Amino acid sequence: MLKLLKYDLKYMVQNMSVFYILSIFFAVLVRLLNMLEQTVIINILQSIFSGCAIAMCANILINTMMRSWIRFRDSIYKDESYLTHTLPVTKSDIYNSKFLQTLIFFIIGFVIVLLSLFIAYYTKDRWMLIKGLINNMTTGLEFKTMTFVISFMVIVFLEVFNAIQCGFVGIVLGNKCNNGKIGFSVLFGFIAYLISQSVVLFLVFVVGLFNSSIMNLFTNNVLLDATSFKLLLFLSISFYVIAISCMSIICKNELNRGVNVE
Amino acid sequence: MELVEIKHLSKSFDNKEILKDVNISISSGKIVGLLGKNGAGKTTIIKLINDLLTPTSGEILIKGKKVGVESKKIISYLPERTYLNKQMKVSEVISYFKDFYDDFDDNKALKLLEALDLSVDQKLAKMSKGMQEKVQLVLVMSRNADLYILDEPLGGVDPATRDYILDTILSNFNEDASVIISTHLISDIERILDEVIFIDRGQVILQSDADTLRNKEKASIDEIFRRMFRC
Amino acid sequence: MEFTFDNNLPIYIQLLEYMKIYLISGVFKCGEKLPSVRDFANTFKVNPNTMQKALAELEEMKLIYTERTNGKYVTKDEELINKLKDEYAIALAKSYFQGMKRIGLGKADSIKYLEGIE
Repeated sequence: MLKLLKYDLKYMVQNMSVFYILSIFFAVLVRLLNMLEQTVIINILQSIFSGCAIAMCANILINTMMRSWIRFRDSIYKDESYLTHTLPVTKSDIYNSKFLQTLIFFIIGFVIVLLSLFIAYYTKDRWMLIKGLINNMTTGLEFKTMTFVISFMVIVFLEVFNAIQCGFVGIVLGNKCNNGKIGFSVLFGFIAYLISQSVVLFLVFVVGLFNSSIMNLFTNNVLLDATSFKLLLFLSISFYVIAISCMSIICKNELNRGVNVE
Repeated sequence: MELVEIKHLSKSFDNKEILKDVNISISSGKIVGLLGKNGAGKTTIIKLINDLLTPTSGEILIKGKKVGVESKKIISYLPERTYLNKQMKVSEVISYFKDFYDDFDDNKALKLLEALDLSVDQKLAKMSKGMQEKVQLVLVMSRNADLYILDEPLGGVDPATRDYILDTILSNFNEDASVIISTHLISDIERILDEVIFIDRGQVILQSDADTLRNKEKASIDEIFRRMFRC
Repeated sequence: MEFTFDNNLPIYIQLLEYMKIYLISGVFKCGEKLPSVRDFANTFKVNPNTMQKALAELEEMKLIYTERTNGKYVTKDEELINKLKDEYAIALAKSYFQGMKRIGLGKADSIKYLEGIE
C-alpha cells in the first residue's frame, strides 16, 4: 500500500507544486510591494498581484479536487488501469492509497493557502480585527477561541473532503452502470452529494424535534445558544466522519466485486 | 496441476454474450497462440485472466488459485495499448516495476533497453508510440514470471521490429514458463507456437498441438485457419 | 545463415532435415558434442520445445545420443552417417536424372553434362 501511495503522492507533487510555488510567489510579491512607497503604479501592480495570489489559492483547492478525481478515474478506469489492476495489490489498497493521497494533499493545500494569505495580507491591525471578530462570536457561544477556530476548520475540511468522496463514489458507480461515460459519473457523484447534504439537514431536523432551540433554525433566524451550537457542531462532525467511511466502504465493496475496464 | 484452467467461462455486456462457455487449459512450458479474427473474443479472455474484466459466469484458475493478488504475482501481461503514466521517465518506470514485482530483473531490462538504443532518461511522453510499445515489451519480458500474456504484440509493427519481438520472446522463454500470444497475424508467428487455440464468435473452436495439426491437415496453421473461417 | 521454414510442414520435420544435413556434411563430426537445445533453438529461431522434438527424433534414429549429464553427442557409428549420406546422394542423383529425362536427355548424355561442369 505504501508503495502505491508513494507513486500517488509523486503524481500530485508533480502536478501541484507549480501552483504552490506560484501562490507563495504572488503572496511574496504583494508583501514586497506593500513595503514600497505607495504610488499609483505600485497600487495597480499590487491589486493585480493580489488578485493573482487569491486566484492561485482558489486554484489550489479546486485543482486538488479535480486532480484527485482525474487521478482516481485514470488509474482505475482508463488506460493506466491496465497497470493498476495487474499489480499484485488488493483493490482495497488501491482505494486506500487514493484516499490518503487526497487527504494529505488537502491538508497541504490548506496549509499553503493559509500561508499565502498570511504572507500577503498579515498586518497587526488586521490580525487584531479578525481576532476581535472571532472573540465576539466565541464569547457568545461559550467557546475557547482556539477550539472554535479549529472546529470550524475541521468542518470546512470535512465538507470538502466529503465532496471529493462523493466524486469517487460517482466515478465508481458511473463506471459500473455505463462503461466510462463521464455523464453518469457526474450524475452519481452529484446524487451522492445531494444525499449526504440532505441527510445532514434531515439529521438537524430530527434533532430539532427534541431540541426546541435548534428547531428555531428552521422557523426563524435567531442565533443559536451555546449548548445547541456545540451539539450541532458535534453532530455534523460525526456525520461527516460516518458519511466518509460509508462511502469508502461502498467504493471498496464495488471495486472488490470486480471492475470492467474498457 | 495446470498453469491455466478456464472452465465454462462466459461474459456478457448489456445482455450481449461476448464469450460463451469457454474451456481452455494450458500447461507449463508452452508457447500458445490464441488465434482469431478481430472481435472474436481474444482480448476479452485475456482481460478476464488479468482481472480487468469480471466473469459473468464460470471460473479461471491460475495454478489452482482464483484470479487475485497471487495470480498477478506470476503473470506478466502486455496489453495492446500503452498503459504507462506518460509523465514518467523510463528509469522511473523501471523502479516502479521493481517496487511492485519481486520477480522483476532490472539488469535484464537495462540490457534489453540498451540493445534497442533507448535512453532511460527519456520521458515516455516524448517517445513515439512504437518506442513506448518496445519499452513495455522490455518491461514485461524482464520479469521472471510463470505466465506471459502478450495481446497482439505484432499489431502494426514493421517487419524488423516484428522479428525483434519474436526473438525477444524466444530468447527469454524458459521451460518453466508459458507464453500466451494473441494475434490475428498467424503466418508471422506460427513457427514459434507449440499449441494453437482458435477462437471464433466467443467460442473455442479448436485447441491442438501446432505440428500435429499441420501434419493432419497437411497445411499451415494460417491456411487451416483461413479454411475454417472463410467469410 | 538465415533459416527459412515452410509453414505448411511441421516445423520439427524441417528442423530434422537441417540437422541431418549438418551431420552428413560434417558440420558436427562423429562423436562431437552438440550445442544445447536452447542454443540450437536460438540459431534456428524456433521454439525450444520444437527443437527438442527434432533432436528426440534424431536420437530415435540413433544419429545422436545423450550422455546422462553431459548433453547430446553425434553418434560414433560412422557407418550410420555414411548410410544417411548415401541415401541423400542417391535421392539427389535420381532427381537430377529425372530432370534431364524431362528435357529429353538420356543417362549417358546427362553424365557428360555433369563432367562438363566444374
